[in-house]
Amino acid sequence: MPETATQERQAAVADPGAAVTAEQRLRAHVETLERRLRKRDDQRRAMLHIMGDLSEFNKRLANQRKAMLHVLADYEQDRRRLARQTERLDSSRRALLHILQDSHQDKLRLEASRKAMIHIMGDLRETTAEMQRREQELRDKQEQLVQAGKLATLGELTTGVAHELNNPLNNIGLFVGNAVDLIELAVTEKRQIVRELGHAMQQVSKATEIISHLRTFGRAAPVSREPISLRQVIERALSLMREQLRLREIEVTVDLGLEEPVVLGNAIQLEQVFINLLTNARDAVAEAPRKAIRIAGSTGSGAVEVSLADSGHGIPPGLERRIFDPFFTTKEVGKGTGLGLSITYGIINEHGGTISVVSPPGEGATFLIHLPLAPAQTEETSA
Amino acid sequence: MTTTLSVLIVDDDPALLQALPQALRLRMGGVTVETADSAAAALERIAVQDYDAIVTDIKMPGMDGLALLAEIRTRRPDTPTLIITGHGENELVVRALRGGACDFIQKPIDRGYFVAALYRAIWAHVQNRRVKDRQVALECCAGELERILDGLERELGALPGRRAP
Repeated sequence: MPETATQERQAAVADPGAAVTAEQRLRAHVETLERRLRKRDDQRRAMLHIMGDLSEFNKRLANQRKAMLHVLADYEQDRRRLARQTERLDSSRRALLHILQDSHQDKLRLEASRKAMIHIMGDLRETTAEMQRREQELRDKQEQLVQAGKLATLGELTTGVAHELNNPLNNIGLFVGNAVDLIELAVTEKRQIVRELGHAMQQVSKATEIISHLRTFGRAAPVSREPISLRQVIERALSLMREQLRLREIEVTVDLGLEEPVVLGNAIQLEQVFINLLTNARDAVAEAPRKAIRIAGSTGSGAVEVSLADSGHGIPPGLERRIFDPFFTTKEVGKGTGLGLSITYGIINEHGGTISVVSPPGEGATFLIHLPLAPAQTEETSA
Repeated sequence: MTTTLSVLIVDDDPALLQALPQALRLRMGGVTVETADSAAAALERIAVQDYDAIVTDIKMPGMDGLALLAEIRTRRPDTPTLIITGHGENELVVRALRGGACDFIQKPIDRGYFVAALYRAIWAHVQNRRVKDRQVALECCAGELERILDGLERELGALPGRRAP
């Protein structure tokens, strides 16, 4: 353009007509240039607006960046937290694995234990069988002990029984002798002879009774249970002991009241209980100024209580508990086996009863026996 | 021994109190036998009657034979007492003999031995009694003689011309 303007000015100088056209053209140029200037100005202003907007935008961006930085920091925190949690989870997982492993081990161990338990059960069964066998053995031994105790009691009774037998034998001799005399004297009265012989027969049955009682007592019979009259048991025991007690001048009183207590048990065993207690009482009163034994009984609902008290010196304090122990005796060596009261205790126990002893200082001992009545009688008593 | 003999038997066995008196009646004709079933009953009898012999069992409830023997020795010291003991009770036999028993009879009782022992005891008792009677009679005679002698001496002293020695 400048080149064009120069050329035109050169042309205008050269040609004045041409100068007018050239001016017009210049004016047109100026107008165009002004127009362009105004346009450029508009553009500049628009640009300034845009710049302002841009700055605003930039500010906003900076703010957003700051916010973003905060968010990033938060995010970083969260990330760390998550990492920690992951770590924790990981260790938990590892722990869980361990636990699972352990549980597996436990399961194995449990299995082993179960197997061991089965073995133990087997052993236990064997042990139980063994125990049962031992128990049976013990029962057999106890029976043997009871038998031994009975024989020991019999041994002690022998002296008294010898006396008891001596009397009827002596009387038989006298009665038969009298009969022989009557025959030799040719007494024609038969009745007299028969009477003497009759007396002799009575004495024979008395002796037989004593012997058969002893044999029944000594026999190792199987232990049966049947309704037994306690009064009869006590009387039979006393009949075996009577001579011994009589000769030692021991006064015996029996007061069982009006009741007829019946217990379910074994007559021989219960008789042994009273023989043992009477033997014990007999020895206890040996040195006492007054020699007395008192047997008393009372029947209550469902049970009978029998006490056997002696007038001896009593049991030294502290020995009441040991008195029922086997082989415990205060008698001299050879005088007592120490079995009597332990056997008594065993028998009463087997009969579902209890036996205890009380011995207040300065008084004799009293044995208390508590025995359940036979079922039929229990009904009667309660009826 | 023409008079009736009386014997007391003491025992707590009623059968023996039947058998033994009968044996005595059969073997010792005419004897009177009484019985007592305890020492206390025996003492009551002894108080009212003087027996020719007493036979007692040694073992009895309450007062026994030895205690009864001691009582008899105080109340009837002259009555012979025989003790019945069990076989082999030597210690009791010795105590009875020391206590003044005249003899002892062991059970089972041999009737021959028993009757012989009883006879001997009664005979000894009768002899004793006889000896005592004679002694008493002799003492009477001696006293009489003594008196006669005194009388004679007095008569002699009263004679004239006799000086005292």
